Amino acid sequence: MSELAKRFAAHGVGSIFLYTHEAHPGEHYPHLTSMAQKHAHARDLRDVLGVTRPILLDALDGACHRAYGSMPNMTWIFNRAGVPLYKSDWTDAHSVANALDYFVDVLERRRERERLVPFRVERLDYRASDRDAFFAGLARSGPKAVREFRESGF
Amino acid sequence: MTAPDLTTVYNYDAFIPEKVAPWINFDASPPLGRTAPDFPLWHLDGDLTSLAETWSAHRLLVVEFGSFT
Repeated sequence: MSELAKRFAAHGVGSIFLYTHEAHPGEHYPHLTSMAQKHAHARDLRDVLGVTRPILLDALDGACHRAYGSMPNMTWIFNRAGVPLYKSDWTDAHSVANALDYFVDVLERRRERERLVPFRVERLDYRASDRDAFFAGLARSGPKAVREFRESGF
Repeated sequence: MTAPDLTTVYNYDAFIPEKVAPWINFDASPPLGRTAPDFPLWHLDGDLTSLAETWSAHRLLVVEFGSFT
């Protein structure tokens, strides 16, 4: 996603990572109890995962995250007026790139005075499921996070 | 539910279905095509901003929601 952010920046596309809460709290990264802790976790997220996009933090009670559906790793695309054009309940860079290619083209067509009106479309996209990387992330949080996920039935 | 309770419950201390599932509500999230709700957000240095301030600064804005774990 960070590579995607660089690729589309020249087209006026901004990209942020909105840090929500700990989806899999563990011994090393427990559940959040303060904004100071939230800032510390977000800085580790930036440094360990190498996130180069701006990281913004939600309120401690997750007001924004909850209002937008609370999925652990969703992506939304907004226009300048705050109208969502795309929302996905999981993040996949290929899906986001495909959407951005389309919406950047729409902006260019409008700039050339083509008359365009919106319509709705539903589509089922596919994401890569990297179990090794996922469990490595759980292990970073601690054995508790690994154990709870294995027992969760998800 | 009071605000402190909400904060505690949202920041669940264990990944178990009873604590995780109640928050999942993507089907009721803001619809496409209508102005979405704004919320305050914070930069890593502590400065206050908002979702609206961020989306209004770009032709398009990609927002990835996520956690460290």
